[in-house]
Amino acid sequence: MKGSHAMMVLMVILGLLAAADASADPRRDAILAELLAQAQKDEPGFARFSAERGAAFYRATHKGGKQGAASCTSCHGSTPQGKGQTRAGKAIEPMAVSKNPARYTNKDDVEKWFTRNCNDVLGRACTVKEKGDFLTYMMGQ
Amino acid sequence: MASAKEDPRTPENEPLTGEASTPPRPEVPIEPAADRWVKVWDLPIRVFHWMLVFLVAVNAFTGFLTPEWWLGVHNWSGYGLVALMIFRLVWGICGSEYSRVVSFIYPPRDTLEHLRGLLLLRPPHYVGHNPTGALMVFALAGVLIALVVTGLLVLGGEEKQGPLSAVTGYSVGFAAKQVHHWLTMLLLLMILGHIGGVVTESVLTHDNLVRAIITGWKKLPPAAPVPTPRPARPVLAVALLVVLAGGAVATLDWLSRRPPPHSLRTLPENATYTKECGACHYALNPSLLPAASWAALMTSLREHFGEDASLDAPTTSSLAAWLVGNAAETFDTESANRFRVVAPDDPYRVSSTPYWVRKHASVPPGVFARKSVRSKVNCHACHRDAESGRYDDQAIAIPEE
Repeated sequence: MKGSHAMMVLMVILGLLAAADASADPRRDAILAELLAQAQKDEPGFARFSAERGAAFYRATHKGGKQGAASCTSCHGSTPQGKGQTRAGKAIEPMAVSKNPARYTNKDDVEKWFTRNCNDVLGRACTVKEKGDFLTYMMGQ
Repeated sequence: MASAKEDPRTPENEPLTGEASTPPRPEVPIEPAADRWVKVWDLPIRVFHWMLVFLVAVNAFTGFLTPEWWLGVHNWSGYGLVALMIFRLVWGICGSEYSRVVSFIYPPRDTLEHLRGLLLLRPPHYVGHNPTGALMVFALAGVLIALVVTGLLVLGGEEKQGPLSAVTGYSVGFAAKQVHHWLTMLLLLMILGHIGGVVTESVLTHDNLVRAIITGWKKLPPAAPVPTPRPARPVLAVALLVVLAGGAVATLDWLSRRPPPHSLRTLPENATYTKECGACHYALNPSLLPAASWAALMTSLREHFGEDASLDAPTTSSLAAWLVGNAAETFDTESANRFRVVAPDDPYRVSSTPYWVRKHASVPPGVFARKSVRSKVNCHACHRDAESGRYDDQAIAIPEE
């Protein structure tokens, strides 16, 4: 039967994909692609996001934020691979995609946390470039 | 009582007891100097007395001195008092002479006469309870019954536990607690009065009453007539106890089958609440804040305890509706009733409410810094039933680290 044959091929391909990169997720790629399209629209000629810039952003001590929240690392921990902790004592799962494949797969959640945390740490909204760099950094971790 | 001279079970004394086998020998002249002994308190009544002392002590200890999580011990020793009083009632009918209630019901004239005698320091002699002591026995029984009833009302109304939980609201439990407290004070005074009475009587009659309630034997004054006591009826007592115990078990069983405790609601989990609020902090049962606090809190999520916790409009309004709809006003638990009163300058924080502050005053600050606690919002670190909003006293367990 043609249908079941096609299904088997699809499953094999999916299996291979899973074996190639267990943490790959088309939803996450779509979120990043949308950010890239926005960045290119804002800045014609913009080529790609930078994981290095994202790493620096993650570790930097920012100004303008709220007390006790000067850096991403204040709550998320010094490395993206480790767990963090909220002010209320709740554990925060790792930010690195390799450690936490569920990260950045829900567009609304990603937007929600950028909105909240940029406001807390920077005292302003993050730029499209900052978000793209951050995501690129975390996807490589 | 080891020496032969002191041993009350000399042939001379045997006839005076209800358990005696030899007939009385009134013909035999009694030497004036020799003590005559009479068995007044039978073994069951002596065991009853000292078990009552023990259980009242346990109740006082767990009521006044121990932390909240000893409530279970307090409850069980209270139930023990019920069992003892049922026994006392049965033994008051079936016991030997001086245990029988009818043996110490006196007309008012006798009571007044005895009180007058006390004031003149030469009270008339009684083998069993004297009229003043009998008054104390009835008063103690009344206060103990009242303590048990008010205790069960507090347990049912405030803690939503015990046989009356299905029919008692918080306000009734709260009022009963005031009465329960006053009754304990009254009981303490009466215990002092009882001990004072025992000492007075012992001094005035030269008969050690404390020894009497341990050994059962009392010394008979030289002029007193030899009593002819009625023996106990143990078979009838056992039969009555079986009937009463069966009735008590059936009543408790019937009560426990009643519908769920008054106004104690179980809230189905709200997945959005657990996800959105539980992402940063322990998601408190909505019954811990009043509706006004939840409504105001949900309009200020951009400034939520010093952090931005903003949510999209549909999520915010659905969560606000759920929180307000299940706020403290919709629960009858002790915590919901207490936390309806918030701190005016910090109306969103449960740990700032006057009741919370008062109840946690004895918790060392270091406890909140422990790895398993970390924050005052983590109620469930110590309150194992925090999820349900019950906050039972017995469910408290402060972690060691």
